[in-house]
Amino acid sequence: MEQDAGRKTEIKRLLVEHLMLQVTAEEISDEQPLFGPGSLGLDSVDALQVVVALDKTYGLKIPDPETARLVLKNVNTISDALAAFLATKPTT
Amino acid sequence: MSRQVIVITGGNSGIGLATARAFLAGNSQNSIWLGVRKQRAGADELARQFPQTCRCVLLDVTSAEAWKKTIGETLALEGRVDVLVNNAGAHRDMLLGLMPANAWNETLATNLTGVFHGSQAVLPAMISQKSGRIINIASLSALLPPPGQTNYAAAKAGVVALTQSLAKEVARLGITVNALCPGYIDTESLAHWSAEERQQIQARIPMRRLGRPEEVAAAVRFLACAEASYITGSVLKIDGGFL
Repeated sequence: MEQDAGRKTEIKRLLVEHLMLQVTAEEISDEQPLFGPGSLGLDSVDALQVVVALDKTYGLKIPDPETARLVLKNVNTISDALAAFLATKPTT
Repeated sequence: MSRQVIVITGGNSGIGLATARAFLAGNSQNSIWLGVRKQRAGADELARQFPQTCRCVLLDVTSAEAWKKTIGETLALEGRVDVLVNNAGAHRDMLLGLMPANAWNETLATNLTGVFHGSQAVLPAMISQKSGRIINIASLSALLPPPGQTNYAAAKAGVVALTQSLAKEVARLGITVNALCPGYIDTESLAHWSAEERQQIQARIPMRRLGRPEEVAAAVRFLACAEASYITGSVLKIDGGFL
């Protein structure tokens, strides 16, 4: 649970830093959509930046637009994808 | 000018090799990765002259895997890619009515798909850096298509359109994408011309001479320099006033 919350905070910081958002990480809720009405107001170029940042930071690869649509819905969905990916990696 | 890491395809001769020389002359610390395919003597010679800063790598631009490998090696060694010059090209000129499908497919693969793969390969690094320059060598044939070049002209027109579209996609990420359209440049690809053919062509060029590879290379260097930071999606003719 604590690990979950920590990961979500990291993701929010990643979004704020890489996309130069005008909100703080604390102001982003776990369920807030990234795109569309009531969202953080991201667009497809932002999505591309998030895809690159997730790969560079964690090694999480989002191989196609369909996967991106599923993973990049909100912080929760990114966190779930990241947790599933990290679970497949051998611990060192 | 600060040190840049530059990948140039079609680096064995002509515009590619002249561009490599121009970057090396501009800053002796620049790191040049010359992509070559079948012929590599010219690129190997340059790499021998500048062993610390110039490398010659086998790169089939039509292969996404080959790009992944080359850019992976570049990033592993250099940690960044600042400039990609998509210069590799190939002609198979003939009338469309006589053109076998492979002459169409291969020409599009090398001239257009290669630019797609190359741009896609460097984008993640350039997005992370929030900076980068992609410079595509198109052709005057993209703007003024001659008969006998439906495949080449279509591919190069595709490069121009790709350039303008991609420039818009990545403009706010600090990445510029521009195209050059050289006209008749005095390279190996014109070596088969007779003296009479050269004279006829030169008579049609307002400057009355062929261009030199170095004159195209100078434009590439300019588009890669800090002063060109607000130029993106542009298509620059280098043709002695032909068009």
